[in-house]
Amino acid sequence: MNWYEKKNSFNLKDKVVNRAVNSLRKNKRIEQISFAAIAEELDVSIDDITSFYATTEDIFLQAQKKDWESLHRYWDKQIKKAKTPGDFKNAFEIFFERFVETLSKDADLRFELSCYLPECVKFRDKNRIKVKEKFTKLIKRGWPGKNEIVIQRQSELVTVLFYGFIDHIVHIPKNERSKILSDFRNMLNLHLQDRKFF
Amino acid sequence: MKVDVQKKVNIIQRSMNSIRKMDKTVHTISFSRLADEMEMPLKELTDIFLDVEDMFLNEQKRVTRKMEEFLEKGIKDCKTPNDAKDLMESSLLKMIDILPDHSDLVYSAIFYLPKCLAERDRTKKYYRQKLRIIIKKGWPGKIDSVLERQTDLVLLSLYGFLDYCVKVNKKERKEVLKDFTNMINLHLQDRLFF
Repeated sequence: MNWYEKKNSFNLKDKVVNRAVNSLRKNKRIEQISFAAIAEELDVSIDDITSFYATTEDIFLQAQKKDWESLHRYWDKQIKKAKTPGDFKNAFEIFFERFVETLSKDADLRFELSCYLPECVKFRDKNRIKVKEKFTKLIKRGWPGKNEIVIQRQSELVTVLFYGFIDHIVHIPKNERSKILSDFRNMLNLHLQDRKFF
Repeated sequence: MKVDVQKKVNIIQRSMNSIRKMDKTVHTISFSRLADEMEMPLKELTDIFLDVEDMFLNEQKRVTRKMEEFLEKGIKDCKTPNDAKDLMESSLLKMIDILPDHSDLVYSAIFYLPKCLAERDRTKKYYRQKLRIIIKKGWPGKIDSVLERQTDLVLLSLYGFLDYCVKVNKKERKEVLKDFTNMINLHLQDRLFF
């Protein structure tokens, strides 16, 4: 596939996701999402859509994977270039910022489906482990001097809080997100400054 | 119609086991299919629930009803800041104790089934209101804007904690509970809040 064809396929995939989300918001039912209706709206053939997606669940799974892969790529770059504790702290903080910035306008629906559709739940669980591993690394390097048990407990706790943060942030208007992001990061910082951890 | 409670509990338990085994998206499961899977007359299910959504809503409400009763009584009995602090801790312990074994299934379904989603929104508002009261009583002296911001943070933390607890066993829930409670305490001790 050449560059032009690749770009076109990305565009079409995005459009299919948007149509599926719109349909879900309107009808509240996944079974109402129809490949035929989406194909007609986008003026493409059903085969064009089924070449990317096997089922409607697949549309949401791939969108979820794409969002997280992009986020991880960005995060990994920050982690890779970090040298000092300050850099690692920065990579920790910047992740939350990037996460909030890149949320789609339909983040609420996408989040809800990621907690409901079986394949999306499986991906969510797998990704959670990956996120926790990165938190562990960043806490270890950004807040040095903690023993392994403390690092594990604090990473678990930060992951627990982060998943609550996701649930909260996707359900509030965009203009309120930066305020809570700042409070959330400060809360985590206060928690991580405690070297011996209670 | 009076329903035998034990029978209802058994049916819910069997239904959840079957739904787990079927490994299907909840909205695609019909009552007749579920009855077949459980080798049970359809009428036994329809005598108790309207449909699969109704069954999940019932399970969701069963937990929230217990929490609401606990919080209402706890807040009523709160006289001192320490009472409120104790209530914060005991409510979290209560929550992890009453979550049933199949709470992961229910938790997942409430993100899609419309009646369950509506109930989730209602419960979240309710918890926010009660958390605000408990924080105000337990950690007095905060100005209103700090109280509001800290309530939001505790609320979102609580939902993260719930998201974790539904997927692990009681022992693992309790291991994180101690750290979680300490962290909430540390956060709320900050009167001026950053």
